[in-house]
Amino acid sequence: MVDSKQHWKAWLYLAPAIVLLLIFTVWPIFNTVAMAFQNGYRSLGSIAQVEYSWGVENFQKVIEYSDFKICLQNTILLCVTTVPISTILALLIAVALNSIKPLQKILQTIFFLPYVTNSIAIGMVFAAMFNIVGLKPEGVPDTWGIINNVVMFFGGEPINWMNPGSSYVANMAVMIIYIVWNALPFKILILLGGLQSINKQYYDAAKVDGTPRRRVFTKITVPLLSPMLAYVIITGFIGGFKEYSSIIGIFGDKMGPADDAGRLNTMVGYIYSSMADSRQGLASAAALILFGIILVVTTINNQVIKKRVHY
Amino acid sequence: MANNQNMNVMQARDIQKISTGQKIGQFLVKAGTYLFLCIMALIVLFPFYWMIISSLKTLAEYRQAVPTFWPKQLMFENYATAFDTASLGTLFMNTLYVGVVSTLLSLVITVLSAFAFARLEFKGKNLLFGALMATMMLPGEMFTITNYITVTSLMEPWQMDIGGNIIEFAPMDIWGALIIPFLVSIFYIYLLRQNFMQIPNELYLAAKVDGTSDLKYLWKVMIPLSMPTLISITILKMMGAWNSYIWPNLITKSHKEYQLITNGLRNAFSDTSGQVNFPVQMAAVAIVSAPLFMVFLFLRKYIMSGVSRSGIKG
Amino acid sequence: MSKKIISLLLVLVMLLSVVAMTGCSKKQTGNTTNVIAKEDITFSMDEEVNITFTHTMGAKLQGILDTYIKEFNKIYPNIHITHQSAGGWADINGQINTEIAGGKQPNIAYCYPDHVATYNIAKSVIVLDTLIESDVAIGDTGMIIGLTNEEKADFIESYYNEGTVYGDGKMYTMPLSKSTEVLYYDKTFFEANNLTVPTTWDEMWDVCAKIKAIDSECYPLGYDAEDNWFITLCEQNQTGFTSAEDGGKFLFNNDANKAMVKELREYYQKGYFTTQELYGSYTSNLFVETTDTRCYMCVGSSGGASYQMSNNDTSDGSFAFEVGVAPIPQADANNQKTISQGPSLCILQGADTTNQEIVASWLFVKFLCTNVDFQAEFSMESGYMPVLKSVTENEAYAKWLAKGNGYEYLVAKCVQIGIEGRDNYFVSPAFDGSSTARSEAGSLLLKCLSGKPSGSLDDFIDQAFKEAIEECEY
Repeated sequence: MVDSKQHWKAWLYLAPAIVLLLIFTVWPIFNTVAMAFQNGYRSLGSIAQVEYSWGVENFQKVIEYSDFKICLQNTILLCVTTVPISTILALLIAVALNSIKPLQKILQTIFFLPYVTNSIAIGMVFAAMFNIVGLKPEGVPDTWGIINNVVMFFGGEPINWMNPGSSYVANMAVMIIYIVWNALPFKILILLGGLQSINKQYYDAAKVDGTPRRRVFTKITVPLLSPMLAYVIITGFIGGFKEYSSIIGIFGDKMGPADDAGRLNTMVGYIYSSMADSRQGLASAAALILFGIILVVTTINNQVIKKRVHY
Repeated sequence: MANNQNMNVMQARDIQKISTGQKIGQFLVKAGTYLFLCIMALIVLFPFYWMIISSLKTLAEYRQAVPTFWPKQLMFENYATAFDTASLGTLFMNTLYVGVVSTLLSLVITVLSAFAFARLEFKGKNLLFGALMATMMLPGEMFTITNYITVTSLMEPWQMDIGGNIIEFAPMDIWGALIIPFLVSIFYIYLLRQNFMQIPNELYLAAKVDGTSDLKYLWKVMIPLSMPTLISITILKMMGAWNSYIWPNLITKSHKEYQLITNGLRNAFSDTSGQVNFPVQMAAVAIVSAPLFMVFLFLRKYIMSGVSRSGIKG
Repeated sequence: MSKKIISLLLVLVMLLSVVAMTGCSKKQTGNTTNVIAKEDITFSMDEEVNITFTHTMGAKLQGILDTYIKEFNKIYPNIHITHQSAGGWADINGQINTEIAGGKQPNIAYCYPDHVATYNIAKSVIVLDTLIESDVAIGDTGMIIGLTNEEKADFIESYYNEGTVYGDGKMYTMPLSKSTEVLYYDKTFFEANNLTVPTTWDEMWDVCAKIKAIDSECYPLGYDAEDNWFITLCEQNQTGFTSAEDGGKFLFNNDANKAMVKELREYYQKGYFTTQELYGSYTSNLFVETTDTRCYMCVGSSGGASYQMSNNDTSDGSFAFEVGVAPIPQADANNQKTISQGPSLCILQGADTTNQEIVASWLFVKFLCTNVDFQAEFSMESGYMPVLKSVTENEAYAKWLAKGNGYEYLVAKCVQIGIEGRDNYFVSPAFDGSSTARSEAGSLLLKCLSGKPSGSLDDFIDQAFKEAIEECEY
């Protein structure tokens, strides 16, 4: 009896969410699928009453695109590097922030500040930090940029991070640092909230037993935080596969250094530029391909993580 | 409670036993923690600092090739200009209204859905949850055109014939168009579900035996226990209202009185060639971020208040 | 069991709501034609009509616009205009694309030719020819809907002809306000060293060599927009960039252009010039800067004159140097070509746009483009060039223009130079895909200038051109 009662109650609770989702998410997805299977579909064209035939030409065209592999490679590379790095850093910061008493409030406030910082300012800072101004075919530029100054301070060779002539590895390094930086505040906020929900008694007990810090971290903190960690990792991967705006933020619409446009393009970058040209058919096909990839990765993630999450 | 006191006594006794070696070790750990936090804080703080100094520069200095770390000339006028140019008052009230209403409604929907997913058993639960997760995997911008068509058709008056009287009404007004499409976020439902699932089921079953209704249980037990997460969601949702740009611009194009803050800001300080007076824009951003920052300072203690009730796992 | 039925019902309701939505969006019907037949062009002074106008004006220009909307309403009290800024140039294109797809496009929009080409995929841009030619009288105002011969003759021809770069000979846009590229130079430095301002590219490279000999650390020339440079050189040398014929062709992959780029590379390697992307910042900063590395000539937008003004933050307020302004160098004195930029206006339609709306929009467009006072005020505020010849006869405007100098009135000086060069303006052809060609042109030039070929330079350039053309034709 309880079961069937829960049954309809659950649907009742979910009703507002489901109704809105059907209208504003499922229906657009339905449209996306429809556009993907109409050869060469353009929404502007359909306004001019062009008829599009059904077929899989959009998918073929996406896969045939000479830079498609590059987009895919960049997407995956950014994802598998930034998600673990930002998660681990955020975890360390959250735990550290939680373990201190003096200055705690001030530091917490500081870690919140990125939220009220304008995104244009964030992009600008990065450009200013890595940008070399006045790079010449030979000779010393006007400024090496803050990052290179630090590198040189420690006796390293300055690196061309993002200007014309820079290497792919250097470009990627900039993007990874930037994305990790961008992702930190959100993850810290979530993990800090999660830490607050852990009962202090566990720590008290560990203290009494004289358990070393490392063990407390691996045996109490991480397992009890695992639902939030799982959340941060899974959504991190989903977000990572959709990476795009951060690259625009650093490299601009060219999606790469000035002399090699598109070098850092990603799947969603491709989708957006197709949409900007009003090629919704191509964009939809690419979005569905991306969807397939994320689905597989998330399923694997879920399987791996499920065994380790303790509710 | 008694248990806790007992433990404090035990702790006090333990502390006496700690050797000096351990004390030094502990000190080093503390120092390391602070050093790590301070370095990270500096890194995180830098863009904010940049925003503030940018807002105080002249346009010429802002455009300089080699950026300056401190304005040569402090342009507090930028703030006055920002205030005069964009009608910040209206923009602010609009954004506040959209932000507060959408946050409240969104919280209700999120809590109910997360509760259903975390506590209730029903057929197809996992399938449905999986399907919802899957919708996160498509880039949201794919939905813009379809949603725009949907919303504009909902804003057209519909005619209804009720007993011979023809009634005209539009299912959605401009506020609705700004708020409703973004009320449901799987992102937050998933987050809260994770939190709810940490609250042991025994509590729920016990409440059931006592005859407590679901909603009461939700209100009295689950919501207080998930306060930090709920506050996080509130902050993120408010930020969303503050930062949204493309959608409000589409919706409010012929209704300036409904414009939100970002639209007003981005559009007010550009010239014909679309070049933006960034210092003034940054000043405006700083002005409008200030209340948001206050809200955070106010809510912070709720995030950090912690939950330590006996009998609660996790 | 009954619970099951209830949940089933709930699902049904949701599905129904979705079906209802589908029904609604099906209402959208498309555009079949964008030409208004001559006999359909009429305007009623009694019928109220609401017109929306999307632009990218900042607050000050919007103030001027508001003033002239009031003037406009004195003649046409029944036309109600609401306007909105869509942000920057990139924003307005995306926003209007979405609005067209939703059937909610503005009646009038700021546009560049590339934008018009995309809107035209939906047949949304009204062909203006029939409106321009219409001699139907408007009520008893004594005016006609179309342009009179005097009005037509007053337009600067090259600007007026920008409305017809779409390959089908039809007129789609009216010019509102224009800018161009000009050569800014340090006049004080040029005079001190007896240098003459280059008028051709050959002269330019000679001057660069001389300047390099005086100041070996400098970049003699800075060029802000790489894409403009490539397109302008193609046009000046008549080597081909794109053509709007047959729906658009990409012509730039040829030996002449490769040779041209190769030559530029040589000069870049010699340190004769830099560009915004190569330098890593606006080249106007280099030009204005007098302490560090310098640049003594700078090609930039005439609309950006305020950024090219030399510093006057010295104690006595004097300027660091005098700025000279000249037309950009040419390849061939008999084929002078300078790029034209700046907003035009187009009239958009959706399935339910009425003729009254279209004609009302046209009347407002006509008003803005042919009103001498508006053109003058707009130009003085924005630093853009007016599109009418007679604006220079406007008293206030003539006074303002005459003030132009190489110091605090550089903006006026720039507009002067811009107006003088009015016979040389061109815009590159616009078609579906022309915006890709433009952005590829910029990257291609940069790649060829600064790339490090692993094999021979010719192969490297060949490959770069091949990739660019593939991207365009994809």
